[in-house]
Amino acid sequence: MVRQIKQTPMNWVERLYIFEAFRGLFTTLKHFLRGLFRYETLPTVPYPEIKPEIPRDYRAKHRLMLRPDGTPRCVACFMCATACPAHCIYIEAAPSVDGRIEKRAVRFDIDHLVCVFCGLCVEACPVDAIRMDTQDTSYVHRNREDFITPMYDLTAWDPKQYPQNDTQSQVAPGGSKNQQALEAWGLKVH
Amino acid sequence: MMEIINSKHWIEWLLIVAKFAFAFVPVLFILLLIPMERRGAGFIQDRQGPNRSYFWLPYFGRIRLFGWVQNACDGLKLFTKEIYAPNGVNKILFALAPAIPFVIVLISPCVIPWFAPMVFTMGDQVVRVSGNTVDSEVGILLLFGLSSLSAYGAVLAGWASKSKYSLLGGLRTSAMTISYEVCLGLSIMGMLLMVGSFRIDDIIAWQEAHVWGIVAQPIAFFCFLISMIAETGRAPFDVAEGEPELVAGFHTEYGAMQFGLFYMGEYSHIGINSILVACLFLGGYSVPFFSQTTIQANMGYSLAVLCGVFILLILTFLHMIYRYSRWYKTSAATNKTVILREYSLYKLLGWVAIPALAIIGVASALFIHPEFTLVDGKAVYGLGIAFGTALIQILVLLVKACFFCFVWIWVRWTLPRFRYDHVMNLGWKVILNIALVNLVITAVVAKLVLGGN
Repeated sequence: MVRQIKQTPMNWVERLYIFEAFRGLFTTLKHFLRGLFRYETLPTVPYPEIKPEIPRDYRAKHRLMLRPDGTPRCVACFMCATACPAHCIYIEAAPSVDGRIEKRAVRFDIDHLVCVFCGLCVEACPVDAIRMDTQDTSYVHRNREDFITPMYDLTAWDPKQYPQNDTQSQVAPGGSKNQQALEAWGLKVH
Repeated sequence: MMEIINSKHWIEWLLIVAKFAFAFVPVLFILLLIPMERRGAGFIQDRQGPNRSYFWLPYFGRIRLFGWVQNACDGLKLFTKEIYAPNGVNKILFALAPAIPFVIVLISPCVIPWFAPMVFTMGDQVVRVSGNTVDSEVGILLLFGLSSLSAYGAVLAGWASKSKYSLLGGLRTSAMTISYEVCLGLSIMGMLLMVGSFRIDDIIAWQEAHVWGIVAQPIAFFCFLISMIAETGRAPFDVAEGEPELVAGFHTEYGAMQFGLFYMGEYSHIGINSILVACLFLGGYSVPFFSQTTIQANMGYSLAVLCGVFILLILTFLHMIYRYSRWYKTSAATNKTVILREYSLYKLLGWVAIPALAIIGVASALFIHPEFTLVDGKAVYGLGIAFGTALIQILVLLVKACFFCFVWIWVRWTLPRFRYDHVMNLGWKVILNIALVNLVITAVVAKLVLGGN
């Protein structure tokens, strides 16, 4: 759809420039006084001390979802590794100990220096095992190897930091729906 | 030689020498202007501005002073950088050029009157000390002449740099300075016509006796202000250093403190021009609504009112600090304790200063009873009263000048840069004509109404 913006020619008052300049000065004065007297209402934040609010659907650092018993939901189907355009996911599969599930991942590494944060792995996952809703956008390390995030790091998240209506997060150990979910899950796997 | 020395009282000599210190006031304006510019620009653009530099105090921790420490950081950075000259430049002129604007800045405030001429009795002698370092008959012309010399800095820098960008910047600066000097001189003519003197003292005395120049000559005021902004070479008239076309204009090839001298020269120039506008159109050192005789006769109460004004300002500042503290306590900031500790210093200083000022104010109201001797039918007071009057007048002048400093920054961050031909059109075809018409009308009205000769 083409949106047409009509440009009206300036009238003689506007063409004199001086009155429009005064209008501009008034606008900037308003902003200046706001900064001076209502400093805390500025839209910018002093960054390292106050973190900006990052929405849940922002594609941030990955996490692996957990079953009620604490094992990763990942079934090592390699869908995410196949979908990944940057080839940054490395998975090693092994037979699952739980009889109801065929495979599990013994290694699940994401190289965050290679990752392009496209979110295709999240789209590809058939069992909702990988998500990017950690709101964690800045993680720094001393050397390149540390950016390769292993499984224990991807699964180390706290259900208390996720909303209550996010059932998938709350059934994990420590979540508010974990007890209930454990009973439904039934079999204890060790 | 001894006759010259003996012709004046020793206190007069002392004050004449002490007045040379006023040469550094425009340089001190840099300290005000840099934070004002950088944080003011931040606020105008809805950002914070640079506020992160700090120095460390024992108990109070990181003291940021609301971005004031940034001055020291800027200066330190410029001082520690390497001074560098490109190959093939004219070495002497290249090194000399940055010094010119800065030297001019130290010379030109000599004709600005900082206070009304001090007249006081010392022993059995009546001593008169003028408020400016050089009590010249042609004060304002001298000031214009000196401040237009600062264009030499830009022109020489542009020529010596052996860079096309610098040369074009220097050319533009020279052309623009010459054009706007004309407007500057002509727009002030109406005012001078009414006063009948080039001496800034007389102009301020006339304003004190009649009305402020901004009321008497509003059109001249605007022409003068616009020409002044153009003469300092700041936005919207900074075509000489327009980044899109000329990299940085005449100081493209400069770095380190050589660039810093241009920068400081520009800011001090703003300071001088602000003081000048305040002198010519805002009554200079004259205190609004109170004549000098009233202030001198009630010196105790005047000082008490001054202390009261300071207390009010400090209370406003403390209110701001307490409001920020309350906000920080409830905010999600991770450095809350650091900032609250810093604010506790400001609170301490504020609550110490308020009772001190209150005591000084009450004491001066109770115990200062000026005694005068009549000389030619006028009351002449002692040295202390003269100093008190001068203090109040200097403060009034600086407050007015600070307002105009803000105008400079305000205009810079509001209006976009004019194109070069637009600048020339505005100067020669608009402001010059308005100033001339204003001069003619003023002359006619002055002849008819005021009945001058």
